[in-house]
Amino acid sequence: MIVLVAATISACGGNNKGNNGNSTPSSQAASSEAPVVTETASATASEAGAGTDISGKIVFATNRTDLIDTKFKEYAEAFRAKYPNAEVEFEALKDYESAIKLRMATAEMPDVILIPNMPNAQLPDYFAELDDLGLNDVIRFKDYKSLNGKVYGLVSGGSTTGIVYNKKAFEKAGITAVPKTLDEFYAASEKLKTAGIVPMATNYKDKWPLYGWQHVAIAMSGNPEFWNDRLKQEKAFEPEGAWAKSLSILKTIIDKGYAEKDINSTNWEQSKKDVASGRMAMYLLPNWVIPQVIENGAASEDVGFFPFPYDNSGTLTTLLTPDYFYAVSKNSKNLATAKAFVKWLIEESGHDDFSGFIPSIKTKQSTVKQLSDFLATPGLNFVEIAPDNSDAMEIQNKGQIDFNDMAQEIAVSDIAGVFDKYNKKWDEAKKALGK
Amino acid sequence: MSYNLQKKSLIISFMLIPLVLLLTFTYYPAARLIYLSFTSWDGYSPVKQWVGWDNYRTIFANNETFSVLLHNMAYFAGGIVQNVVAFMFAVLLNGKLKGRNVFRTTLFLPYIMNGVAVAFMFGYVFDTNNGSLNFLLERIGVEPVSWLGTPVLVNFVLAFISAWKFMGFNMVVYLGALQSLPEDVFEAARIDGAKGRQVLRYITLPGLRRIIELNLFLTVTGALEVFDLPFVLTQGGPLNASATYVQKVVETAFHYSNFGLASAMSVILMLIVVVVVSVQRMLVLGKGD
Repeated sequence: MIVLVAATISACGGNNKGNNGNSTPSSQAASSEAPVVTETASATASEAGAGTDISGKIVFATNRTDLIDTKFKEYAEAFRAKYPNAEVEFEALKDYESAIKLRMATAEMPDVILIPNMPNAQLPDYFAELDDLGLNDVIRFKDYKSLNGKVYGLVSGGSTTGIVYNKKAFEKAGITAVPKTLDEFYAASEKLKTAGIVPMATNYKDKWPLYGWQHVAIAMSGNPEFWNDRLKQEKAFEPEGAWAKSLSILKTIIDKGYAEKDINSTNWEQSKKDVASGRMAMYLLPNWVIPQVIENGAASEDVGFFPFPYDNSGTLTTLLTPDYFYAVSKNSKNLATAKAFVKWLIEESGHDDFSGFIPSIKTKQSTVKQLSDFLATPGLNFVEIAPDNSDAMEIQNKGQIDFNDMAQEIAVSDIAGVFDKYNKKWDEAKKALGK
Repeated sequence: MSYNLQKKSLIISFMLIPLVLLLTFTYYPAARLIYLSFTSWDGYSPVKQWVGWDNYRTIFANNETFSVLLHNMAYFAGGIVQNVVAFMFAVLLNGKLKGRNVFRTTLFLPYIMNGVAVAFMFGYVFDTNNGSLNFLLERIGVEPVSWLGTPVLVNFVLAFISAWKFMGFNMVVYLGALQSLPEDVFEAARIDGAKGRQVLRYITLPGLRRIIELNLFLTVTGALEVFDLPFVLTQGGPLNASATYVQKVVETAFHYSNFGLASAMSVILMLIVVVVVSVQRMLVLGKGD
């Protein structure tokens, strides 16, 4: 708490000094890097006066507690090298979502933050518009954190969900090519099981790792508004819909013994070691898990990543989901600096690539081999997920509906019953809210 | 300054700091909690909409909220066993026993350990495939058991861990009380020819009444407020079989962004504790003195 207050106070102090003393136009410093973008930025410059006064101290709140003494120090130096009058301080928050919400509630928000889970309608209450950064045409998920056509958050990186697998395990089981259809997938799982390898690390007990199955459902439907459309449907969860089909694959995997021996005694940390060593073969998770498997002892060339074949049609579709979005506090004392920092993070820091994400800028290539291979899969279709509709979110929270709970329940009971129960929950919550 | 004034100013100055601390960190948050329980606050937005008794109505309309309290019964049962064992150890270690200080320390040690660390440790013991307990059972020819994955077992397994952790604390409390019992009463009883069991029944137990009451109070509130063990070990699973009330509260507040409802749930828990403890006092300990 004391550190927090001190940071805020020193941030204010830094601001005053910067404004009065030194007003070197930072466009000079920036011009060598990206002259075109800077010009458009100053042309459309709004109240921030972007590009003219990049100075003072800002604080950036991050969820990456592990990078605070390493990578972020480099970023702070690199940013300082570009804008000598500006200084950025990184503040890593444990349990980021809850912590940042408390900070937002107390109006002691850092200058740049990662937007926590909240309805888009509230974005203007906290954040400054970012349309003047000149990134709107090149960035992925431009409309995801926007309201009334104004952009409040820029994506820090993207992910896609597929099968992350151990190539050595596949080899040992005699699987020569990655499965392209669901039947081939089951056949491969059978071979792995026969070879004494656990085919799929579902991490059923830990619950959250089951979220990959939601992504499969949305990819299957081909509809970015898949969850939002529940508002229009007669049954929020259709027992014949894509979500049910996706979960029935999970159920098959569990029923046929392609999952862990005791799904109620899985261990997430251990599973990474097991996939790395080849005792387990596959994950259905986004690409961020790849570096973690490698960290746990697998050679990078032994880890592969392919789109999940959810049916037998042979066409493959994958879902793109955004990671956290950068946003600038509208009450920031150094708004221009904060904005410049966000722009720098996205365009120059390479943080998205470093973190193993699909780069925020559409034209940038990923240097993660598995990811660039995955993205280059012939005939692969992409669905870019739409932001959550706040009405749908409200009903879901009110009814305390958790998709991962549904996925867990499917494993031990029948889909129709589970969907009935959750449709009832949805309807009651919807009625209670009068939506 | 008159003697009276001195006395008063002394009392006030001694009371001031504890009272300020008490007010800031106990009564203010409690009042705030009660206020929040009448709003539909989502945990971060600046508006706190007043909704009257809505949250309470929601809770009482939903049977699920209270059915999780049944899971806490396992901890309560475990807590009783834990107290009996603690009492036995205390009596044993109060006597003349070789190396009794070593035993005391050993038995008290689990209580000092961090709850989450204890949970992790037992996670390795009760793991179905790699756990040490199942490894042992397999050696003597018993089929591996899914300790944390069987709905009827899971709460008792967790209650056992909790009893293991808190037994030492109860024991130390009993031990302290035992040592404060006047020696002459025991001596007189022995001279009159009282046997060990009679001494226990008619002198030790009545002498410890207040302390037993205290330990039971701690056990009951502890059982109602279990959170860390199921949170770390099972996430409330399998399928909510080990979810506890406090875990539901935390989920409601942070996962479903409904601080108002969660506050109302906490207020109700507070009332439940008050009711249970009053009933317990009346039933177990008679009419008091």
